[in-house]
Amino acid sequence: MPRISRRQLLHAGLGTAALGLLSGCATPGTRSVNVAPTIASVPGQKITIEYWSWLKNLQPVADIWNAANPNVQVKTVWIPGGNQGGYPKLYSALAAGGGPDLAHVEYGVIPSFMMVNGLVDLTRYGADEFAGRYDKTLWSQSSYAGGVYGIPQDSGPMATFYQPEILDKVGATAPTSWDEWAQVAAELRKAKSYMDCFPLAEAGFFTALAAQAGAQWFRADADGWIINMTDDATMKVARFFDQAIDQDLVQTDFGAYSPGWFAAAGKGEIASLTSASWGDALVKGISGGAGKWKVAAMPRWGASGFGSSYLGGSAVSVLANSRHPRESLEFAAWLTSTQQGVDAEIEHCGIGWSPATDVIGTARQQPSEFFSGQNYNQDIFAPAALEQNTQWSWWPSQQQSFNILSDGFRFKASGTSLVDTVVDAEQKIMTVFKNSGLSIRKESA
Amino acid sequence: MTTPPTRTDPAGAAAARPGRTPNTGQRGSGRRTSAVERAPWLLLAPFLALFILTFILPILAALLSSFTKVTRSGLFGEAGITSKFAGFSNYAQALADGNFVASMGRMLLFGVVQVPVMIIMATILALLLESASARWPAFFRAAYFLPYGVPGVIATILWSFMYVPGLSPLIDIAGWFGLSPDFLGPSTVLWSIANIVTWSYTGYNMLIIIAQLKAIPAEVYEAAKMDGASPVKVALAIQLPLIKPALVLTTIFSIIGTLQLFAEPQVLKTVSPAIDSQYTPNLSAYTTAFAYNDYNVAAAQAVLIALVAFALSFAFLAFTNRKSS
Repeated sequence: MPRISRRQLLHAGLGTAALGLLSGCATPGTRSVNVAPTIASVPGQKITIEYWSWLKNLQPVADIWNAANPNVQVKTVWIPGGNQGGYPKLYSALAAGGGPDLAHVEYGVIPSFMMVNGLVDLTRYGADEFAGRYDKTLWSQSSYAGGVYGIPQDSGPMATFYQPEILDKVGATAPTSWDEWAQVAAELRKAKSYMDCFPLAEAGFFTALAAQAGAQWFRADADGWIINMTDDATMKVARFFDQAIDQDLVQTDFGAYSPGWFAAAGKGEIASLTSASWGDALVKGISGGAGKWKVAAMPRWGASGFGSSYLGGSAVSVLANSRHPRESLEFAAWLTSTQQGVDAEIEHCGIGWSPATDVIGTARQQPSEFFSGQNYNQDIFAPAALEQNTQWSWWPSQQQSFNILSDGFRFKASGTSLVDTVVDAEQKIMTVFKNSGLSIRKESA
Repeated sequence: MTTPPTRTDPAGAAAARPGRTPNTGQRGSGRRTSAVERAPWLLLAPFLALFILTFILPILAALLSSFTKVTRSGLFGEAGITSKFAGFSNYAQALADGNFVASMGRMLLFGVVQVPVMIIMATILALLLESASARWPAFFRAAYFLPYGVPGVIATILWSFMYVPGLSPLIDIAGWFGLSPDFLGPSTVLWSIANIVTWSYTGYNMLIIIAQLKAIPAEVYEAAKMDGASPVKVALAIQLPLIKPALVLTTIFSIIGTLQLFAEPQVLKTVSPAIDSQYTPNLSAYTTAFAYNDYNVAAAQAVLIALVAFALSFAFLAFTNRKSS
């Protein structure tokens, strides 16, 4: 019998191991969980679900559920907010074949997670039975290609926070249209104040305003994606802010909620803030601001468009490697649509606007001392949540698209107009789609 | 990388083998020579196994990945995903990405300025501390080296307090003189990063140079003293030529370090809108992989970064060798 030397054995062993490792290193995210058989839940068995979220202090909320559901225990793990490190963490956990059962995912990023086969289609686990509890626009923002890929967790209907005293200096009140906003802003510049900030390094604000004006940048067709970023609504918004920046009507040196912004707002150099409902907690952080702020509906784009828009907002998604999708779904639904869940989330985490149509949260049904005694949640944000662009749909590679836009916006200072940036970005985003193998075409007018 | 844990066995198995070698090696003289030949390999095996597992294989995987392309059909790839050999198309895509190429250019500019400044400062500090008239050299050596002990992330947070308007005492002081420096603007933030890097690594490079200075035999100094050489003359004619290997080493490390810049801009990004998500080559590869989920193009970028680092290091070596010959 020919004897195999140790070295040969070692070589053979290392060689096999190397091959095995390399074959294991296929590009991550190329296998779909949604064609595999569904995972049945086993009643009576004690299980633990993990939820990765950037909500602070979420465990006390989960503990309320845990007390009532001894067999389905939920453990929360804090991750950094989305693009600040949470998504990279989730993506790499998915790529490694792991990750939690539930994850905090913004609506705009759901398609990107779908691209890497990271999310479970919840219709396979009975998500439809919960659909009636949620706002239709938000439900549709987490539904794609006939599936449901997230349970709405919060949203950010927009309105205008403003300082009545400062506006009063020029005899103005909160503007109802953007044209009026420009007039007030011009007057205020004489009093050394700005109305709003326009963030050049972050495309979310511009996108929200385009959606308010009635834009629909992407839609899914049978044969692929259709892009239209140069429609009248978007161009109107781009031209408007091109002009506002050129005439120095809007602050571009810093963005809202930055240290510079807090300082300026405290000194009255910032008179208003058009932002989402979750901005209230941040506005309350302005030193000496108590009693000086009020909330009004945001300005409109003339007769067209919508009364408000969504800025931010997120869903709870079941990740591909979850062993307990049905139980995860049940917890997500409890967390986001029951009086108990929403109230606890507001109390412990300061969550954004409730996605459940019947529950806005007990704490949000009373007047606020900080906001001049105004019952602003019920009076302003509740109606704003109903005046949304229902046609708006997110798309894969949203983060890259936003980076392309903000990379262009940064050049505004050196003379590139927002209009040019948007036109140019549309081409670049089409290239991104083609590079990842998706078919996309320009909307034919 | 979905690798079953059992695949890593060779490391453990190989580690267990050396213990049995003496028994089998004593059976005959022919076997003894082969055992002698085999011994170093077996002793090296634990190292080699880990080296291959954690170094060679990941590099091979990245190379393989950089030549693969994933094509999706349907709106999200739900109708099927195929991987196939892509030739150089990922490299073409990486090089066509203006932001990635710009990040390379930015780091070259950074390196051309920051590396010489840091190496010159490190050399001067080392020469001063090793000169005969230095007071408390051990204390200052430790003090200059201390910033290296501060992790890059913490160093950046510390320095960001010096850079952010409203928090920075530097900006307040400049304000008294009617100046309003902007440390975080598009044209200045690169040099703010350079400052952090220089602060962190000058002491480290200084220590390597000091080690080489200490290796210079005392007789050389005595001879110079007998010939009446001034301290400056000693530094220029004796110390600098003799520490050239240390200078070459630190410069090459710094060039490679420059291309790998990551933590400082990543942290400073939160206070400076001028830093985009592809500000440095490594940030670009990170963003492409983990924010855009394009692992294949990210692998191509990583290979390109490595190639540029190789090219620059060898160019520098060739340059210094040519000068000395």
